[in-house]
Amino acid sequence: MQSQKPSQTSRLGSEEEIRIGVFVCHCGLNIAGSVDCEEVAKYAAILPYVVLSKDNRYTCSDPGQEIIKKEIKEHDLNRVVVASCSPRLHEPTFRRVCEEAGLNKYLFEMANIREHCSWVHLYEKEKATEKAKDLVRMAVAKAALLQPQEELVVPVTRKALVIGGGVAGIQAALDLADTGYKVYLVEKEPSIGGRMAQIDKTFPTMDCSICILAPKMSDAGRHPNIELLTNSEVTEVIGYIGNFSVKVLKKPRYVTDECTACNDCASVCPVTAPNEFDIGLATRRAIYTPFAQAVPSAYIVDRDLCLNKDNILVCDKCIKACERGAIDFSMKQETVELDVGTIIVATGADVYDPTSIAEYGYTRFPNVITSLEFERLINAGGPSGGQLIRPSDIQTPKSVAFIQCVGSRSKKSGNTYCSNVCCMNTIKDALLIKEHWPDTKIYVFYIDIRAYGKGFEELYKRAKEEGVAFIRGLPAEIIANRKNHNFRLMGENTLLKELYEIDVEMAILSIGIKPRQDSDVIQRLFTLSRTSDGFFMEAHPKLRPVDTPTRGVFLAGCAESPKDIKDSVTQASAAVARASILMAKGKVTVAALTPIVDTENCRVCGLCARICPYNAITVDKELKKTEVIEAACAGCGTCGAECPFGTITMRHFTDQQIYAEIDAATEQDADKKIVAFCCNWCSYAGADFAGVSRMQYPTSVRIIRTMCSGRVAPKFVERAFARGAAAVLVAGCHLGDCHYINANYQTLRRVEKLWKKMERLGLNRDRLQLAWISAAEGEKFASKIKEMQEIVETVSREEIGKSKKLVRERAGELSCR
Amino acid sequence: MPLKLWRKPLDADRIKIPRGEIHIIKERCKGCGLCIEFCPREVLEESEEFNEKGFHPPRVKDSDKCALCSFCEAVCPDFAIFTVEKNRQGGC
Repeated sequence: MQSQKPSQTSRLGSEEEIRIGVFVCHCGLNIAGSVDCEEVAKYAAILPYVVLSKDNRYTCSDPGQEIIKKEIKEHDLNRVVVASCSPRLHEPTFRRVCEEAGLNKYLFEMANIREHCSWVHLYEKEKATEKAKDLVRMAVAKAALLQPQEELVVPVTRKALVIGGGVAGIQAALDLADTGYKVYLVEKEPSIGGRMAQIDKTFPTMDCSICILAPKMSDAGRHPNIELLTNSEVTEVIGYIGNFSVKVLKKPRYVTDECTACNDCASVCPVTAPNEFDIGLATRRAIYTPFAQAVPSAYIVDRDLCLNKDNILVCDKCIKACERGAIDFSMKQETVELDVGTIIVATGADVYDPTSIAEYGYTRFPNVITSLEFERLINAGGPSGGQLIRPSDIQTPKSVAFIQCVGSRSKKSGNTYCSNVCCMNTIKDALLIKEHWPDTKIYVFYIDIRAYGKGFEELYKRAKEEGVAFIRGLPAEIIANRKNHNFRLMGENTLLKELYEIDVEMAILSIGIKPRQDSDVIQRLFTLSRTSDGFFMEAHPKLRPVDTPTRGVFLAGCAESPKDIKDSVTQASAAVARASILMAKGKVTVAALTPIVDTENCRVCGLCARICPYNAITVDKELKKTEVIEAACAGCGTCGAECPFGTITMRHFTDQQIYAEIDAATEQDADKKIVAFCCNWCSYAGADFAGVSRMQYPTSVRIIRTMCSGRVAPKFVERAFARGAAAVLVAGCHLGDCHYINANYQTLRRVEKLWKKMERLGLNRDRLQLAWISAAEGEKFASKIKEMQEIVETVSREEIGKSKKLVRERAGELSCR
Repeated sequence: MPLKLWRKPLDADRIKIPRGEIHIIKERCKGCGLCIEFCPREVLEESEEFNEKGFHPPRVKDSDKCALCSFCEAVCPDFAIFTVEKNRQGGC
């Protein structure tokens, strides 16, 4: 379908005639299945300034892109609108297409008729088509007001920060360092190595874990391009892609570089505690090294344990024992400031604590151990010297049970996901027992055995051949014999449909992997998102699996999701490749979303500077000058919403453009519509997620995207009500998780004030809703719209008429600040 | 580390840690309390008895806790307290 009509001159009054081309995508049947794309294209053709409107099957495909380029040239288009998927997915694609055709990429606009329309209204084709028309009308209205923008080019510091010194972090640091970049590797613990250092053997090859890891650890410790910061934590991150400034708190070791790890100090130390590295199965001193292969190979004093508190040197046994004089209790913590261009987050994961599963008796029965404790017990360097013993009597058990999915795949334990590694870990452990003590009877109780990787199935088969009994169905309870500490396990074999009662001498709980307890700290520092599982969310689950929503920050290892060593290493190298692209280029463009201050009319009140989360606005009252530091500005737009005199223009999200979208959304049947302002990073993404998950919700909502909910000025809400909208939703990131540090607190303040004013004017305040919806909360978005639909249906015509009138009359009053 | 460390370490009985035996020369004490104040393990406390000078000398509250740091010996202005090592096993 294609139609043309004579063009109109720009209402901006500029010399250039506006010529918009609209391309409506079928996306196969993804859109066309529930939206009549031909009709939408036909409708778009009669909209103002549209000189060309087309529909095609796959706009993002090569031929689809070629068509856009061809039409731009042929019809002299100077604005392009593509109605297809989410701009979070393909805006970069189409912007590039425009650029290739000689059009500034900021003259492109997208209508999201897939995630926000066809996928969420699968069974209402007529209504979905009407909504798609609205969305296209909104995009066209905004497109007519778009202006070309020049992006600022900023240099990329050719240094990287890797957070977390597990295998993923080590691999990332080594790859970056070998590429030639300076790397800072920050680790919270006294040594790098992470979980992999604790494990005995690795599946499926049965390599010794520390034997393959230790050389990498010492490489990382010795590499001239790597600076190790152990016992350190990141405390502050400011800046933006290519130019991060990071503060790292370096806690003192109280042992200098002179240390040769001779152990003379520890042998005289009078204080002991359970060693964390051995999960408390062995003892350490107050001065210690976590394990023999630790890097840096230096001891550390645990000041919580040490007799020397504050500045009083009570005990000097270690100082006297150290020949090299390497112990220095006067060391202070220091904060190091690092300038880096890219950051890789490889903070790893915790393991599930099975204490809460009372029926398995962990901590009540000494012979119930976790799979991580088992790793230390079977390890030759571990507390039992590699002898498999049960803790109650230090005897080798003749029969052992492995219980799978402890803390995974269970609603009861709170973790519904599969931890990915436990099945193969158990199979490996079972084979290790068989190797040393072949007569041991081994039972594995499982829900499903997931042996999906390379060489995994073969290992599973080998375990079965060696006589490991796999029983489908987890035991309901572990019952202990108080005299001999043996167990009876009872449950149902779901394959044979019969009950079992099996006696064993030791039980090993195959515990799952869970997000780190302090993930929220990293999440806030880097403004990342987390999925409902609690792991960090990637920028796109398929196509950008190691990128984060924050440009210049990448993910590797279990911080992103539970994974084995091979996958962690693969992901680390992938993250390095992504970071290297930026650093090799040495420069990057930042989006032209920064504000422009109309200095002539600016009254230098300083409100904008006060609320800027980045301190990117300087106000000089004497010189009567308000200036924006473009490189420091992240483009949230909360200053634009704050300015009482309208002298701040947010580029690409101007007041006029947003008004145009509101007006277009409310042009028809406004009284049946919800106007929703959604922030790009959380709520818009959350609405996208609802689409991807095909969550169905009412068709009444029209979403307007802003970079931050802090951009939503009260006058926008007011405009929507003045136009007769039934309800307005303002949605942003959760408080504390704002992509722009704290800009959404301004949202909260403004909405609260609006509510008060609405109450005072006698308006139903429920018509204005505020919601914090994260990128992973598609369900929350869908239910919010369902909830608001009730408001839409119950709000009376009189109420709408009243608000229309009142708001128009008292516009000044409602646009409170 | 996420798991709480609840087990008695397997090597707890094999670990050798120095243990001190505290000797108090009550007559020399003038009850300044420095030894009580500075003992990192809070092994000492003031006793109710009087010495010849009329002061309360310290007494050992829990001798098992003494780590033989000998700081009491070092801070005593009157050389009224000293420690000797007694070897004993058992860590944590």
